[in-house]
Amino acid sequence: MPAAVPRDADRSGGATDAGGRRGLVRRAYGFLLRPEASVIVVTVALVVYFEIANQNFLTNANVQTVSQFVAAPVIIACGEIMLLICREIDLSVGQVFALAPFLMQNVHDFGVPVPLAILAALAACALIGLIIGLITIGLSVPSFITTLGMLFLITGLTLTISRGYPANTAGGPLLTGIMGVWAYSEIVWALVIVAIMHVVLRHTRWGLHTTAIGGNIIAAAEAGIAINRIKIGNFVLTSTLGGLTGLLEAFRVGSIDPLAGGSNIMFLAVASGVIGGTAIAGGAGTIIGGLIGGIMLGVLQDGFTLQGINAFTFDIVIGAAILVAMIANIHLARLRGGGPA
Amino acid sequence: MTGATEAIRAEKLVKAFGSITALAGVSLEVAWGETLGILGDNGAGKSTLIKILTGYHQPDSGQVFVEGRPVQLASVDEARALGIECVYQDLALVNGLSIYHNMFLNRELLRRGPLRLLDHREMRRRAAEALDEIGVDVPSVELAVGALSGGQRQAIAVARAVYSKARILLLDEPLAAMGAREARLIIGLIERLRARGDIAIVMIAHNYAQTLEICDRVILMQHGEVTFESQAAATSAEELLEIVRREYRAVRAG
Repeated sequence: MPAAVPRDADRSGGATDAGGRRGLVRRAYGFLLRPEASVIVVTVALVVYFEIANQNFLTNANVQTVSQFVAAPVIIACGEIMLLICREIDLSVGQVFALAPFLMQNVHDFGVPVPLAILAALAACALIGLIIGLITIGLSVPSFITTLGMLFLITGLTLTISRGYPANTAGGPLLTGIMGVWAYSEIVWALVIVAIMHVVLRHTRWGLHTTAIGGNIIAAAEAGIAINRIKIGNFVLTSTLGGLTGLLEAFRVGSIDPLAGGSNIMFLAVASGVIGGTAIAGGAGTIIGGLIGGIMLGVLQDGFTLQGINAFTFDIVIGAAILVAMIANIHLARLRGGGPA
Repeated sequence: MTGATEAIRAEKLVKAFGSITALAGVSLEVAWGETLGILGDNGAGKSTLIKILTGYHQPDSGQVFVEGRPVQLASVDEARALGIECVYQDLALVNGLSIYHNMFLNRELLRRGPLRLLDHREMRRRAAEALDEIGVDVPSVELAVGALSGGQRQAIAVARAVYSKARILLLDEPLAAMGAREARLIIGLIERLRARGDIAIVMIAHNYAQTLEICDRVILMQHGEVTFESQAAATSAEELLEIVRREYRAVRAG
């Protein structure tokens, strides 16, 4: 831990001598010490490798494929990262993902226009987040348990509403285009949400208090931070983002599948956050890191597919990659000694 | 110790938890610009006393006065509103956050505009200024608190209390588990705060010699009572130890 002191002193020294070449070099050095820097390096290396190994990697069509794979977990990761930072988790977000399009469809079937039906579905997802938050906070149930229960409950709900059958999405070309049909609309959604959530986490009291709660809940309470309100708010945020992602995917594919999303997308989202440097033990994390972690997983998935690697082998590789990233996450956090958040 | 200089005074505080009497009528007073040390073994009632002064516990009987006015300290917030604040070494700060974020925790400064964004620059500037003013030296306010030593963390916690207008500071074992150099840092800080003249400090401690060096006056607590009180200069660690030894002998004989 003592080794961390001169290093950090260096970094902030660079930030204070406003601008200048020296400041720039120090800033670059400081950047390389950030938790997400190693993931960027690995991701760029993977892109280079896949491009060399397979000339088709950086084509327009393939970049579009990667972007579509990346978008969904990244949007959900924005919520999971906020939860992980304040020491909570939502395991049921993948089921909300599947439920949301059916809610929209059902509301639409009553003659409500699609845009309003979308808002109604999102409101219902927010309500699910509120229920999760109230149970977790009000009844002191660990969110791991609350959301595990909700996972099964919502799956059952979705299957009941859909009667187990897929459906087609409604809506005109403009609406469906914005909501996911246009080639890059889903990744644009993801980038906008990432930008907003980055500002929320780094530049608002909400984000700072989320970090403080995960870092030291006693100190946060002593300072008078509204712990329950912030935790419940982050559950609402995560469920809503899960629902939004489900809607985007449904519009993109053009059909609603009761078995879409699920635990797979939830784990990808959590893995994106953790690979990007969000501490599993709470108190530290970045939204940008989640984006980069998501891109890395997308590049891996797509690159292996292009190379024709067997899907079973792929799962082994990606599982191992997530494990390695998580282990590194825990041990790097210890090395940093609670370093800069 | 009367009139205009009196900061806080407690009269005949009694507090029992079930059949255990934690405080059996404790009185004390502290003046502005004075440092009072409270010595005593575990179970002597020091912590209960501090918790009453910070509004965490309410006394069964007795009265607390702030600047001569009787006050009801029904909660921690009420005590804080009167400028009474207890500084705990490890409970107060979030290690993962920077010094300036900790200094402004839940009192953040915001930029103008509808977005209510944090004004990092202004918080950095004011945190550096506030630390400078009371002579706390850190390389940068952007450092994470977790990267600091125990002494530095304690200093930051004290600085935050002072910055948030706390005028009656209660320090719970401020020098516990600290090396000589670290302790020097806190002793220097306490001395500078005393020199301002507008702050009263009450510190709980175990180390007799150190406490006598820092404090203007000390009281010794035993079994929920104040058994000895003296100006620090008029007593010695030996005298205090002798009083405690006498008690041990009495207990053994009884």
